[in-house]
Amino acid sequence: MPKRKLDPLPAAAFQILLALAGEDLHGYGIMRQVVEQTDGRMRLGPGTLYSSIQSLLQAKLIGELEAREDAGLGHERRRYYHLTSAGRKLARSEADRLADLLRVARAKKILRGDYV
Amino acid sequence: MSEKIYAVLLRLFPSRFRESYGEDALQLFRDRARHETGLFPRLRLWVDLIADLAISLPREYRYPEPALAAATLAQRANAAPSPTFFVLPEDSPRPGALVIGGILSLCAVLALSALLSRASSRKPLRAASNPSYRAASALSRSYAQRAPEASYAASTLSAPDTLVSPPQEQLATSSGAFAAKDGTSYAPSVPSTVPSPAFFFANSFSPLDTTAAAPVPQPRDTAKPPRALTPAPSNYDLITEHRRIVDAAVSNLNRYYVDPVLAREMSDVLQTHEENGDDNAATAGPAFAALLTKQMRDVSHDRHLDLIYSEQPLPDHAAGPSAEALARYRGDMQRSNCTFEEIELLPKSIGYLKLDSFPELSVCGSTATAAMRRLNGTDALIFDLRDNTGGFPDMVSFLAAYLFDYPTYFYNPRENVSEQSWTPSPIASNHLADKPVYVLTSSATSSGAEQLCYNLKMLKRATLVGETTRGVAHATAFHRLDDHFGMGIPETKPINPYGTPDWEGTGVAPDIQVPAARALQTALKMARSNSRKK
Repeated sequence: MPKRKLDPLPAAAFQILLALAGEDLHGYGIMRQVVEQTDGRMRLGPGTLYSSIQSLLQAKLIGELEAREDAGLGHERRRYYHLTSAGRKLARSEADRLADLLRVARAKKILRGDYV
Repeated sequence: MSEKIYAVLLRLFPSRFRESYGEDALQLFRDRARHETGLFPRLRLWVDLIADLAISLPREYRYPEPALAAATLAQRANAAPSPTFFVLPEDSPRPGALVIGGILSLCAVLALSALLSRASSRKPLRAASNPSYRAASALSRSYAQRAPEASYAASTLSAPDTLVSPPQEQLATSSGAFAAKDGTSYAPSVPSTVPSPAFFFANSFSPLDTTAAAPVPQPRDTAKPPRALTPAPSNYDLITEHRRIVDAAVSNLNRYYVDPVLAREMSDVLQTHEENGDDNAATAGPAFAALLTKQMRDVSHDRHLDLIYSEQPLPDHAAGPSAEALARYRGDMQRSNCTFEEIELLPKSIGYLKLDSFPELSVCGSTATAAMRRLNGTDALIFDLRDNTGGFPDMVSFLAAYLFDYPTYFYNPRENVSEQSWTPSPIASNHLADKPVYVLTSSATSSGAEQLCYNLKMLKRATLVGETTRGVAHATAFHRLDDHFGMGIPETKPINPYGTPDWEGTGVAPDIQVPAARALQTALKMARSNSRKK
């Protein structure tokens, strides 16, 4: 039994994968990135963030990098995380799934405007 | 300040989470607190944190140890069919967990041992509550139903021909054994002429007799006041009647009693009392019979000697048991498994045999052999004789043979010493000769069953557990004096090697005195502790 269910992929985990798609980040960085990419709708609290990170690490969807300082955040050392190829693959398939969903929604004309 | 509050809140998380990510979570809090200043952002931060706690706390506690989960994952990946075990060295259990675990295991062990002890005691409990005390076998029950009520109706000494007793067809006309005192069956009394199979020890055996098996109440014991011998007895009639009975008793004594000198003495005493009018106070049959018995015993001190009065007319016993009665007896025995009520192998290799009579060997020999064969492998033997009212001495001897590996003299108060007085031991491939034996007794254990108890006790071959037995040796031959009076007269005086009086009137005292209902339990306990000692 896997520790936590990642299937279906929880929203928080997917956001983390997306956040790491651009660059390697530490916890607070991930949190800010998620806030940014969701226009502030999702602010991951420490509990949610780190438990998600934990399960993603176990599933080897992300990896942990050596701790280092973040120049913009003082001298504290922080653990950085990076996206693994498996994580990238999973994120892509999740995005595809959502795109499929979107296509259906569009075909059913439940979206306002067709620019999405 | 707020960081401290959050640090306290973080303690709500499981230790494994705090160890891995506690510092990071605090760091995140600090970062956010540093960047999100002002009333609204700070409020939002706290709302976020509380919401986060509410969501992630239950989730953290719901999921198992990460290492375990990882192990399972790895195991899956390997698709190993065999179970795999992993050690988690970094997480030692908390003391609290150890205490709870210890208490739980203690409870489990206690519960298990309690269950085990209950389970082992259940068997004997069942056995004790069970048919043991469905006192009578189907056999004797059916007789009980036929038993006529005790009635002292219109029996009379002075006018025997006007009897208004139970109808004649109820009489034990065909019987060699007939009901007498206590409803006991006596064997036919003319020893020379009757080749009797009915050496009865006990009443439950009366099948040979057509009716008298129905227990005739013992007049002396009954609470109902007996009526006068005659509806309106005149003194003259009473004296005549008494004289007639005394004369009959005297002639029987002199003819049959084992000791002619004593017989003569008793006759004199009986006649003297009669002539002196000492008997005239006894106007009722039972009282008169008791009085004569006392007079004879005062002289001879022979407790076997007995003069009884029966409400029902005593059958003329000249004839032996009919073929029909014998056939019925055989049928009864076959239906009731020869009164071998229970044959069980109990835990700890203890054999249990409940026997409610000692049936005739020629009819039930094979049943008895099969029963003893079944018990042959046991390490201890329990004979349950609590409902055993006796039977044939050859069966007593036959069963006792299994308990000895050499022929053993069995005292039988009824028979002179002969070859039959020794048990037919040893028996081929029998392993019971050296096994401990427990005999369960009750106050109902009587006659032939008492013979087995008495001999095994004297030989120190068995431990008797239960109550003192009833105390009827049936050592006498029965002689009819008239329709209502009869005598049990000892005609033999076999050697009692133990030098003590037998069990007549006193019963056989158990080695371990407990109420009959608890006898089995007690014997089982002894047998078990005995087997442990070995």
